[in-house]
Amino acid sequence: MTVERFRQAAENVGTAVVPVADIGDACRYIAGRCDGPVLLPSQPSLERGGLSAELEQQVKLLTAFDKSAAEQAAAGISGANFGIAETGTIVLESSAEPVRLATTLPPKHFVLIDPAKIVADGRAAVPYLQNLHHLAPQSFIAYITGPSRTADIERVLTIGVHGPKELHILLLDNLSSDFMES
Amino acid sequence: MSKQRSREYRQRVNQALATPRLQQALHAFGDAYLLARENALAGRDFDKLRQAVGEMKDEVRVNHQHYIDQFITNAKAAGATIFIAKTAEEANRYIADLAEEKKCRLAVKSKSMASEEIHLNRALETAGVETVETDLGEWIIQLAGQRPSHMVMPAIHMFRDEVAELFSKKTGQQEPDDIEHLVEVARQQLRRSYLEADIGISGANVAVAETGGIALVTNEGNARLVTTLPKIHVALVGIEKLVPTLDDAQSVLEVLPRNATGQQITSYVSWIRGAVPCGEGKKELHIVLLDNGRSALAESPHCKDALRCVKCGACANVCPIYQTVGGHVFGHIYISAIGIILTAFFHGLDQAAELVRACIGCRACVAVCPSNIDLENIILHLREVIGEEEGIGTGKALVFKKVMRNRKLFHSLLRAGSKLQKPVTKGERTIRHLPLFFSSLTEWRSLPAIAATPLRDQWQTIEQRVEQARYKVAFFAGCLNDFVYPELGRDLVKVLNRFGCEVTLPLEQNCCGVPALYSGDKETATVLAQQNVAAMLEGEPDFIVTTCPTCTMSLQRDFLELLGDNPAWAEKAAMLAEKTIDISRLLHEKLGVDALPKTVNRKVTYHDSCHLKRGAGVWQEPRALLAASGNEVVEMAHADRCCGFGGSYSFTSHPDIARRILTDKLNDIEATGADCVAMDCPGCMLQIGGGLEKADSPVRAAHTISLLAESLDD
Repeated sequence: MTVERFRQAAENVGTAVVPVADIGDACRYIAGRCDGPVLLPSQPSLERGGLSAELEQQVKLLTAFDKSAAEQAAAGISGANFGIAETGTIVLESSAEPVRLATTLPPKHFVLIDPAKIVADGRAAVPYLQNLHHLAPQSFIAYITGPSRTADIERVLTIGVHGPKELHILLLDNLSSDFMES
Repeated sequence: MSKQRSREYRQRVNQALATPRLQQALHAFGDAYLLARENALAGRDFDKLRQAVGEMKDEVRVNHQHYIDQFITNAKAAGATIFIAKTAEEANRYIADLAEEKKCRLAVKSKSMASEEIHLNRALETAGVETVETDLGEWIIQLAGQRPSHMVMPAIHMFRDEVAELFSKKTGQQEPDDIEHLVEVARQQLRRSYLEADIGISGANVAVAETGGIALVTNEGNARLVTTLPKIHVALVGIEKLVPTLDDAQSVLEVLPRNATGQQITSYVSWIRGAVPCGEGKKELHIVLLDNGRSALAESPHCKDALRCVKCGACANVCPIYQTVGGHVFGHIYISAIGIILTAFFHGLDQAAELVRACIGCRACVAVCPSNIDLENIILHLREVIGEEEGIGTGKALVFKKVMRNRKLFHSLLRAGSKLQKPVTKGERTIRHLPLFFSSLTEWRSLPAIAATPLRDQWQTIEQRVEQARYKVAFFAGCLNDFVYPELGRDLVKVLNRFGCEVTLPLEQNCCGVPALYSGDKETATVLAQQNVAAMLEGEPDFIVTTCPTCTMSLQRDFLELLGDNPAWAEKAAMLAEKTIDISRLLHEKLGVDALPKTVNRKVTYHDSCHLKRGAGVWQEPRALLAASGNEVVEMAHADRCCGFGGSYSFTSHPDIARRILTDKLNDIEATGADCVAMDCPGCMLQIGGGLEKADSPVRAAHTISLLAESLDD
């Protein structure tokens, strides 16, 4: 129910929401859509799942990169701390710079999230948002809802102005039940 | 000074009126906005949400020092450097000095109205720092050398061909005017700026005291780049953006995107606290807390609620004046209703003076404000202040002070007017043409003649047909009803008698005072309020009924404000407010009228008068009454959009804008195919009836009470 609501809300704003069976499935989905270097910053849930080992067989995977390299990449990959069903939002603790570079500069952003980590709405997200603030003294926490968009020319909705032009959310069961990791 | 200011303002109005493409775009935007907003807010109790936001913001205003101290402590603990700027100059100097000290050559900015407010770009350029706006709309107007015409969509006044021309100049090649292509050009062009910039400048949508962090609500993703890539981040934050907790920030987030753009949420919400990692080390975060008039606004008893604003821009989206002339005319830096108030406090009363008068007072903004600000009431107050500062013009002052306060003189002059007008009325009820320099007044609407015999002089001849009255009702007729449309009084008596009410017309009643008050003459309005309170309570009626919603608002709201601090009058004014009710609500709610003899077979469309719907909250009642008397009621588009009357607004202050707004209304009426447009306001009747007649339209304009009276005809 919550997941279905999440999926609909996300699709309404132009996100592709795809259930995947396992990490291999996720890798094939990502690799089939990337024709250049792919950024994978350190993400505990993805490391545990063995994403990099599998994906680097199929694409040029960068796990360490600076902003110039990020700018040249075809895509960035991240996990998610949790999702918000009502708006189709993923919440991503992005204090580590590579996470921000990977999710802002490339034209595509792939997110892997465990559907168990989806809360009902923005109000229900607040306690988790508060907890994320307790992880470290500094923080950059991102609510991401759909691809980058603008309507600044004649109010015509146009996708992909400064940020990612595509947002893909891959739903993977048993990836992580911990809201404090991504 | 003020004469030249007025002249320049007139020129801007005329120029905007001569740009139909702008008006079309803003009208289409207004329509699309309302739909998107309705969808985004579906299933939510908007009134409850906005009350909560208003109360939370008030709490921050009252305990400001506590929250700002908490914010500063937490922000510093997270590694931010805080600077409190009392003025625009202080903020500019701090940021420019910082850029100089760090040898910055290039700054990238995400959209910040506060930076527009203080003209930060100019200050940085003067200090030799190239400054690039990265929000698409802001970049467009930066290339065009203009300022934003909307708080959320800064380049809404520009069109794709103009953007293509600007971009072509920038890239040195011919860019086609395809929007998708133009957006891609912006992406490519701005990439290098992000990567090379030494400093990133953002605003903030909220500043959270409990975390010491800020939140940025954006769609394009540029703010994420601006706050991530350069080594230094400067956040320029108006001190009114403070909220106590993340939960309170969520309350703002709940209404802001929904009310601003009709989105459930924007693509990105970034919660940024402290000096996050950047390259080899940590980012340098400077938070500039900007006062620049905000503390003065917090201290203003009449205007302080404006600090609740979350800068969603909705007050512009629904404003008929904004839709007609755009934000470069109806705004200074901040635009539309909230812009008028903020301009007065941030940029000075002089900058706000013309804008204060440009508001027609329709309260469309009040209805959609997500922070529960009575914008119209505050603007009205500013009009009084400007009236006191600059005067209201000797002609008006003479009429208000010497004539209107003296009821007998005022009414004698109206009676004399009725005789003097004969050469132009030629005995007709309306004036279609006026001679000489008055001719422009009847160019686009005929004007009603002053009645040969005002209602007050007919009253003794009107028979009351009621035995054993249930209620005693005193009629507050208002000037238009009394002297221009006396037949409305006869209709009212006929209908109220039928439902068991005896009606009196207290003859000592005078003008409700709105023309004086809205022109900034509070003193005359107060004298008139006292006269009317005394006159209407005489004889202890059960209800005081009105046919004019502006009079209703005056009796219910303005009298209380004018007399509330006067112990001799406060209690009586409260009693008058309590007893005052408009005719539709009296019939529907108090007298329980749900069926009338169904003798008519008319197709009627209903025009909501601004002050009836958004002042008294009455809009279903007249529709129900009209349907109950056998009329087929069909809805027009924008039924509750202002007709453009606005009293002196359409006669003297802004007749050109009023005319354009009337044209919109007439088009909506015609499109329904109705025989008749009903309304509950003599002012709207004058405007819409005059416009229909001048256009030779077969559609009749009538007051609801007249249509109800007709259904009682044998």
